[in-house]
Amino acid sequence: MSVIEKIAEKLRIIPELGKNEDAGLDRIAAEGELTKFPKPEDWDDWTEYDPKSWPRKKHKHYSVIPTTCFNCESACGLLTYIDKETNQIRKVEGNPYHPGSRGRNCAKGPATVNQVHDPDRILYPLKRKGPRGSGEWERVSWDEALNDIAARMHTALKEERHNEIAYHVGRPGHEGYMDRVLKAWGVDGHNSHTNICSSGARFGYNLWYGYDRPSPDHANARFILLISAHLESGHYFNPHAQRIIEGMMKGAKLAVMDPRLSNTASMANYWMPTYPGSEAAVLLAMAKVILDKGLYNEKFLRTWVNWKAYLQKMHPDKEATFENFIESMCEMYAEYTPEFAAKEADIDPETIVDVATQIGEAGERFATHNWRSAGSGNLGGWAVARCLHFLNVLTGSVGTVGGTSPNSWNKFKPKFFDNPPAQKFWNELHFPKEYPLAFFEMSFLLPHFLKEGRGKMDTYFTRVFNPVWTYPDGFSWIEALEDEEKVGMHIALTPTWNETAYYADYVLPMGLAPERHDINSYATHSGMWIAFRQPVLREKARREGKDFDFTYDVNPGEVWEEDEFWIELSWRMDPDGSLGIRDHFKSPYREGEKITIDEYYQYIFENVPGLPEKAAEENMTPLDYMKRYGAFEVEKASYEKHKNKLSEEQLQDADIDKETGLITKNGESIGIERDGVAYTGFPTPSRLNEFYSQTMEDWRWPEYTTPTYIKSHIHPEKLDKSIGEYVLVPTFRLPTLIHSRSANAKWLTEISNRNPIWMHPSDAEKFDLKTDDLVKMNTDIGYFVDKVWVTEAMKPGVVACSHHIGRWRRPQDKIGNRWHTNTVEIRKEGNGWKMETTRGVEPFKSHDSDSSRIFWADGGVHQNITHAVHPDPISGMHCWHQRVRVEKAGPDDKYGDIFVDTDKSYAVYKEWMDMTRPAPGPDGLRRPLWFKRALRPDESTFYLNEED
Amino acid sequence: MKYGFVIDNRKCIGCHACTVACKSEHDVAIGVNRTWVKQVEKGTYPNTRRVFSVMRCNHCTDAPCVEICPTEALHIREDGIVDFDNERCIGCKSCMQACPYDALYIDPDTNTAAKCNYCAHRIDVGLEPACVNVCPEHAIISGDMENPDSEISQLLSREQVTVRKAEKDTKPNVYYINGDADSLNPGNTEKSDRYFWNSQSRGVGHFAKYAEKRVEGIDLKSMAMKMSNKEEVKERTPKSIDVLMQKNKRVYDSPDKGILWGWEVSAYVLTKAIAAGAFLFLLMGWALGIGASEEMSYAIGLISIFFLTATGVLLIMDLDQPKRFLYVLLRPQWKSWLVRGGYFITFFGLFITTYLVGRYFDSTMLMDISMWLGALLALCTAVYTAFLFAQAKGRDFWQSPVLAIHMLLHSVMAGGAVIMILTVFLNGMHYWEVLAEFMLLVTISLNLVAMGFELFMPHPTADAATVAKSIVKGMYKNAFWWGVVVIGNLLPLAALVTGQAQFYPMAGVLCLVGLWFTEKVWVEAPQRVALA
Repeated sequence: MSVIEKIAEKLRIIPELGKNEDAGLDRIAAEGELTKFPKPEDWDDWTEYDPKSWPRKKHKHYSVIPTTCFNCESACGLLTYIDKETNQIRKVEGNPYHPGSRGRNCAKGPATVNQVHDPDRILYPLKRKGPRGSGEWERVSWDEALNDIAARMHTALKEERHNEIAYHVGRPGHEGYMDRVLKAWGVDGHNSHTNICSSGARFGYNLWYGYDRPSPDHANARFILLISAHLESGHYFNPHAQRIIEGMMKGAKLAVMDPRLSNTASMANYWMPTYPGSEAAVLLAMAKVILDKGLYNEKFLRTWVNWKAYLQKMHPDKEATFENFIESMCEMYAEYTPEFAAKEADIDPETIVDVATQIGEAGERFATHNWRSAGSGNLGGWAVARCLHFLNVLTGSVGTVGGTSPNSWNKFKPKFFDNPPAQKFWNELHFPKEYPLAFFEMSFLLPHFLKEGRGKMDTYFTRVFNPVWTYPDGFSWIEALEDEEKVGMHIALTPTWNETAYYADYVLPMGLAPERHDINSYATHSGMWIAFRQPVLREKARREGKDFDFTYDVNPGEVWEEDEFWIELSWRMDPDGSLGIRDHFKSPYREGEKITIDEYYQYIFENVPGLPEKAAEENMTPLDYMKRYGAFEVEKASYEKHKNKLSEEQLQDADIDKETGLITKNGESIGIERDGVAYTGFPTPSRLNEFYSQTMEDWRWPEYTTPTYIKSHIHPEKLDKSIGEYVLVPTFRLPTLIHSRSANAKWLTEISNRNPIWMHPSDAEKFDLKTDDLVKMNTDIGYFVDKVWVTEAMKPGVVACSHHIGRWRRPQDKIGNRWHTNTVEIRKEGNGWKMETTRGVEPFKSHDSDSSRIFWADGGVHQNITHAVHPDPISGMHCWHQRVRVEKAGPDDKYGDIFVDTDKSYAVYKEWMDMTRPAPGPDGLRRPLWFKRALRPDESTFYLNEED
Repeated sequence: MKYGFVIDNRKCIGCHACTVACKSEHDVAIGVNRTWVKQVEKGTYPNTRRVFSVMRCNHCTDAPCVEICPTEALHIREDGIVDFDNERCIGCKSCMQACPYDALYIDPDTNTAAKCNYCAHRIDVGLEPACVNVCPEHAIISGDMENPDSEISQLLSREQVTVRKAEKDTKPNVYYINGDADSLNPGNTEKSDRYFWNSQSRGVGHFAKYAEKRVEGIDLKSMAMKMSNKEEVKERTPKSIDVLMQKNKRVYDSPDKGILWGWEVSAYVLTKAIAAGAFLFLLMGWALGIGASEEMSYAIGLISIFFLTATGVLLIMDLDQPKRFLYVLLRPQWKSWLVRGGYFITFFGLFITTYLVGRYFDSTMLMDISMWLGALLALCTAVYTAFLFAQAKGRDFWQSPVLAIHMLLHSVMAGGAVIMILTVFLNGMHYWEVLAEFMLLVTISLNLVAMGFELFMPHPTADAATVAKSIVKGMYKNAFWWGVVVIGNLLPLAALVTGQAQFYPMAGVLCLVGLWFTEKVWVEAPQRVALA
């Protein structure tokens, strides 16, 4: 500071700076060293310098309280920093005690604070005024909403209309909470989003080994094969991305199949831009290379694959020897030469051989993943996961170090204080007879089922779930939701406005990541953990000695959480206890009293192996430990759980089949004997990995008893290039957004706010299109008009459009995600619906000065609403890829124009329904008994009776 | 101790977590960034890659932003962190011109400059910067580069690293493992306002306040043209083709901050040239024995003081924190040419005043002393801006050694033009007219030569060449060839060559108009080159 400045300050010509500084704080790391997080003992009053007044030292006092992220399904650990002065969450960092995310996050973690302070969030329960969808709302009390809904449901249950109550959920983000509630109500009312999400791949995995998802051990792998973009999206993006790169830094090679250069593909050693739907062919060609080169793992194949059954059924003429098995496979896959696959995929055959050889050489250290991606895009997409797992089987990398375990081995299942009996109803709106093998509910067909008169919904809950926008064929959803005959009452439980909530009767605000209770456990790596999502302001109040009855007393406005809401609703549904519902909501600690949320979690945490001991070390109860640390590691690492041995007790009175080694007890298979040892094996009928599936034979799909390639509905043979037909890949996700859940985060939206059509220059040239020109994408049921993004990062002959973007609100929806939403006019036009973007994203006035500075205007285009439903006839998965006729937009086409003919939607639905092979299967079954089912009903309901 | 960053491109997956964590830690406004992830696509299908490059302040050992900062708002800490104090910042935006890395922005909440400060407030309690903590891949490595045991030291020892714009001699301290030249060199890819999943329609940072005012009833297109640092919107189509044909394509970048030194700066260069030039003529007249009449003395003194005052007003108007304008003089950072210039202008103003006072009281001594000292300061006032622009290290075109001569010539031209115009209003101006005629002939001729040097001599850097091209052949070609060359130089020259005195005042007017075009082009054009 110069003399002049000192004098000027003394003379008060200019203000004196550097005054009123707070004292220097102690370092928590040695001089010159840095650490990542404050120590937990300091969390109750953590003091930092305020970055806003820096370099003047001002102290900021925080309560540091953990929770988990509620954006994607990874449930990464978060630490919220609550400003003690304002009692508001100031920032969100990672939780170092979370074994999955290890203190690190993707962009969506820290952006949680935007969601909390979003000026457009819903703060109070709302009830509609005027007709449904009119956009008029009035604030109501929680009591009013609860009593109204409970009374309605009470009547429905009294009248045995159990199948008219449904809870439709997006990504749940909790473990088993709602299944328990629905069972307590006795309804078969669980409807999930899984059949637009992951169930294709789940089906493929399940056929193999009774588990429906993989848990790759990327960190220890030598070769990683991804048919998805796990370095930027997917489950479990951040935890997996950490470990994929960790593996690569240790020398693992990465190959990625994707027609679009994803970030993941860009980081890969091998980008294999396979034509959509050809993946299974490429995988089988790789299998053939591994077989031909003798790189398979004989020991694993011999021991853990049902090859004997395969030979007996498919080659009864051959002796059941291992050599014959290999030989038969080689014969069967002879046609899958690298050249054949390369032609199907339009890639280089040498890469296939090269990658396959390296996979074979990686052996047991071969990690793979395909959760959605190709499995969710294609007719027969489930075969992709099946063929991918085939490579794991061939290399013996199932459940090994550096290999790929089943998801369930790395996921903790909580124990509940009360387990209501399975419901005695089978809701055919969720599991219709046409889809006996559908891995999850046929949720995206619900509007068509209602239209057909298969049933109706009396009370329909959508929970953090937005089918009007996210699902295909959104206009059919609007039609169904607007029809009060079909949907008696629609209750939207959501933290933020969405296109589905516009058509609700009640919009009930539910908490964001730091405003709700949930437990999470996900297969992020070879370990196992449990994490606790909690309303952090409530926990802060508790630490300060204040207690609250309900989370909405401490959350912003009257934002609540589902957990407490369901307890309250269930209690009121059964006012006199006559329905037997109340019994399932009574405290395990206080006789006859209604359970509290703390008691619910107290019971669970008391029953997590090792947690009570760990908590005791710190003189805490298990619940207090979880409130303090937010996560607990149940197992550090575990592998080969199929080799868990059956106990003496389990083996008592069990039968062991001499020939197959199958161990059964009371008619159920419980394990398998191998080399004289009784193992649990895999949860399939054979207790082995099933190369040959008797189930497929039994349910009249004999052509698919072994891993096969199925030509997709968008196979080049089915497209007419001469009229400009292309395949549209509509599913790719961005690292910065998550479905329709993140539109309320300004820092995410400013990074990504439009979704042009990706097109290779050679394709753009065909239509005389340049970047930013308008293109009309004609689907089977309508069209949308979008801009073009010409790029070398796209496979020629394929076009793609990203997910997340193109959100809208109508003129009557005055607020709601204004960071992200266009304003649209919707009107009936002929047989269909027309949507026009009348205004883009605009700045607005609010308490957040940033809202008036929105610098983008292009809010993208809603593409999913123009997609027809494509239910895979076996897995039930919606096959996302679209056949589109690409054309240059005409003079009357405007950016964002959308048209859909819902009669055509219905016709396409019927077309795909005709491809099914309905139940009953063997023994009059609706579904194979060994198949898992969400909210599994009582076994008696699995059998179709005469009247069905 | 010396802190630095290693960005490990072997690991970075382009997820933008660092960007958002930084926004969260510092509550950074939307539209501006302390750190961001630039993305460049390279190659042709299927040999294509998308490269992610984390961009931020380089915490340079010889930080040009610190050198140019007039008020010590930017400073280098003992541990090497380049930190800033927004209470001292006057919003002059010179740091944004000085930084070759586009690391600074104007915070629309405080109207002061801001940038990555290495989370100094965290460092001082022993915590890692927020971006380091959040990164899923541990691709950002912080630490003491002088401690041989630190992770960063070991990486710097073992791995090949590269830095951005080493030629700027700023000694940057952000090192890239597997750094990609096409991503780190801004000239290798085109900047746009539309990328693969984002776009920009309104001003940010310094321009956010204009955007805010236009919330109601906005004309988006015209605003986009005004606010954004790009060629006019109508030129988009051919540009898209250019981009299309390029092998390397910028596919994600942070929003453009716009032209930070706008018309106020161009105007101030002109007004100060007039003030200084007019006053310099007094000395020239004295040297040649042309006495200034009382009227003439008043006229020159008043014109000088008027334009010098205008200079001050324009300078203040350009500040994003205009109320703090006194900080330039009262919190001086002496190496900054903004401070030196501020004092030149102040003392110049003082001597013009004393000259006028001397005139009023008929004190020849006071007038003579004031004239000599005033002329010396007029010279400094005329030329210093060249040194200020040279301190703006981010702008290659301003690094020209001819710039000081250019400024001096402009001043004399402006002074000559004023004299010519005065001949219309004052009597007995013959010798002044002859002097001005001679000086204008010389300086306009020299000015043409100087501009020729600046524009047509081989340029030391690609950025400078790009600017010269934009002036001669690009978006400034009309302003340059018509406004600068024809109106400002050739026509006045032609008028003077005719020897017809009745054309001289018009020559003066044209000369001033031409100077306005010159300053506009010279101030604006270099700012259109992307720094990151």
